[in-house]
Amino acid sequence: MTGAIVVGYTATDAGADAAALGARLARSLDAAVHLVMVLPSEGTRSPIVPPERAYEDHLRTQARQWLSDAVEALPPQLTRSAHVRFAESFAEGLVAAGEEFGARLIVIGTAGGGIFGRHRLGSVATELLHSSTIPVALAPAGLSGEDDHVVPRVTVAVGTRPGAETLLDEAAAFAADASTDLRLVSLVPFDMPPGLDTGAIRLATGSHAHDVLARAAEMLPDGLGAVVEEAPGESVEDAVSNLSWLPGEIVLVGSSRLAQPRRLFLGSTAAKMLHELPVPMIVVPRTRAEAGAQ
Amino acid sequence: MSTTDSAVTTGVSQKGLSAGAVGVLGAVVIGVSTIAPAYTLTASLGPTVAEVGTQVPAIILVGFIPMLLTAFGYRELNRVIPDSGTSFTWGVRAFGPWIGWMTGWGLVAATVIVLSNLAGIAVEFLFLLISQVTGNASIADLAFNPFINVGVCLLFMLGATLVSYRDMQTTQKFQYILVGFQVLVLLVFAIAAIVRAVQGDAPDPTAFSWSWFNPFEVSSFSAFAAGLSLSIFIFWGWDVVLTMNEETKDPAKTPGRAAMVTVIVVVSLYLLLSIGLVMFAGVGTGALGLANEDISANVFFALSDPVLGPLAFLVSLAVLSSSAASLQSTAVGPARTLLAMGYYGALPKKFARVSPRFFTPGYATIVSAVVASAFYAVMRLVSENVLTDTILSLGMMICFYYGLTAFACVWYFRKQWFDSARSFFFTFLFPLVGGGILAVLFVTTLVDSMDPAYGSGSSIGGVGLVFVLGVTIIVVGVVIMIWNAIRRPAFFRGETLGMDAPPSLRRRR
Repeated sequence: MTGAIVVGYTATDAGADAAALGARLARSLDAAVHLVMVLPSEGTRSPIVPPERAYEDHLRTQARQWLSDAVEALPPQLTRSAHVRFAESFAEGLVAAGEEFGARLIVIGTAGGGIFGRHRLGSVATELLHSSTIPVALAPAGLSGEDDHVVPRVTVAVGTRPGAETLLDEAAAFAADASTDLRLVSLVPFDMPPGLDTGAIRLATGSHAHDVLARAAEMLPDGLGAVVEEAPGESVEDAVSNLSWLPGEIVLVGSSRLAQPRRLFLGSTAAKMLHELPVPMIVVPRTRAEAGAQ
Repeated sequence: MSTTDSAVTTGVSQKGLSAGAVGVLGAVVIGVSTIAPAYTLTASLGPTVAEVGTQVPAIILVGFIPMLLTAFGYRELNRVIPDSGTSFTWGVRAFGPWIGWMTGWGLVAATVIVLSNLAGIAVEFLFLLISQVTGNASIADLAFNPFINVGVCLLFMLGATLVSYRDMQTTQKFQYILVGFQVLVLLVFAIAAIVRAVQGDAPDPTAFSWSWFNPFEVSSFSAFAAGLSLSIFIFWGWDVVLTMNEETKDPAKTPGRAAMVTVIVVVSLYLLLSIGLVMFAGVGTGALGLANEDISANVFFALSDPVLGPLAFLVSLAVLSSSAASLQSTAVGPARTLLAMGYYGALPKKFARVSPRFFTPGYATIVSAVVASAFYAVMRLVSENVLTDTILSLGMMICFYYGLTAFACVWYFRKQWFDSARSFFFTFLFPLVGGGILAVLFVTTLVDSMDPAYGSGSSIGGVGLVFVLGVTIIVVGVVIMIWNAIRRPAFFRGETLGMDAPPSLRRRR
């Protein structure tokens, strides 16, 4: 058993996607799954609606029902449990639950309405991606309808800035725990001054990406099979769409430099990637949180 | 099944409990928002003056008595049986499924009526506000075009439903500012009216007299009863402050103090405003007289301009924001009661459905909004004065279900009446007297409203519209109840929610 995975569950399509991804990752990583449903505490939503403990009790009963159905539907060989939590916001409750269970990962679904199979962030995901102390996995809409896979390969998108070590460590740990290959990808162009002509960008970023990947590959522990790949393109979106993916693959990205220490903040590159990715994405905080450590 | 059941844990996060707890100020804000003084007074002052003339202050004070007595009963029931179904659940526990069902029906009907009336008032003030801001008086008249009126009203209902369904968050600060603004504007409005009346700069300056506070100077018992049932409406919602227990920071002190502060704030506003407007506009039926049927259903609408001149738009803003806040806090009540009724099998199971995304009683919220909208649209076409008639029938429905709830308290605690002096007063005497007053009011209003001249003077088949409304609501309730009893007999056999009477605590010792 290597750690726990907390799934932010609701009895909706997005919740089913999250549960399916949580189960898939748990199977690959040999982790326990905790389905967590976070309910709004009475009296914290609208300040003029009188709070009523009885309604909270009713919600709790209903939530337990939903959770037992959902736990039932998970593959029986998994170590699975379900929990109801009350918090002011869904994201806050999930992070608290993640810390409580020492989770290495929080899994959530994304709002429907994006292009089929792609990500679109809902308010919960947005809040979580900007505050979580634990890596957050986003399940693309419709994932629960796909065939189930074990994770065949872990891809990590690397940049050069400080903080890449944590990301690489995390990716290496994922790959090792799931006994899969690791693929290092550098997306180009990165951080080019505006106005530079395309040829120059190609040249500059080509060599840049090369250096990045070489340095990253050096940092990986020995004995881990790692493939290195450059993804060229006119833009981040273009570069991502040129990559090929195995069914069930996951991709890890680092949190932005804007984040507070040990907290997530979805950077602009990651946000752009998200629009194009057909596979689940995991956003990793730049420095490791104590609770998130194995 | 049992293995997965035990896998589900329901930990209570310590954070959530304290975050949700309400302090005195928070509870007062909830109370004032729910009562919505700006809205209730503009809607009820006219009809009340039409019944009791200058004795409005007396009626306001007397009207608080049955409210207070009944609220004590509410508090006792809520302490022992906290349940989202409130009156419904308590009625069933005390009197069994049939009467309990009708109590719940009364609550739902009353709230549905008030929702439609609220939206109606909000529409009129929206147009008034636009016309005041743009300086184009003809815009205010658009509110009386039935099609525009119903259309905009439905939009309001749609907005309020969305807010309740999605459980949208508004910040505490914003609501505090709204409530503060409402209280302040009403104060300014009242003082300006008094000053103008004293200066003689008013349409019908009426000298103040302390005899306005004497309830025995009301002309007839019928007028007294009608006035009282209206003044119960103006305190309606106050009981939520008193019944919040565990939800508050200090259950022993917070609800009592908050209820006291709320009542002082609201009663002072009501007295000041009613005195001010009576002094300013008089109780006659002249152009601006409070008893004039053309303006009485929404007196602030007609009086804000003459009293405040260029600042009149503040009153429109206050009433609009007060109606909006009240739409939101009022819509929660019937939805939760319907949810409880669905949960116990007194209504189709669909009503118990909770939205899996927003955790609100989704189906029940939508049904009550649709019914309120349909009710308003039909009333707008049938009645000559939809607002007056809905307010009068509302007063009647409140008496109906509050009275039943008060009696439910008395009967439920029948084995504990003489346990202590406290239980004698709070579970027996107070709710019994409160319920008795409400029952008398209900019957008197029902009998009087048969007269076609009652209320706005609308009638159907020679019988007053208010009577037709009240009876129709109750008869429809009975029909739906019988239909449910055939389809879902389990609840009506007492299998899902049984009758009960807690045994005396003294005998056990």
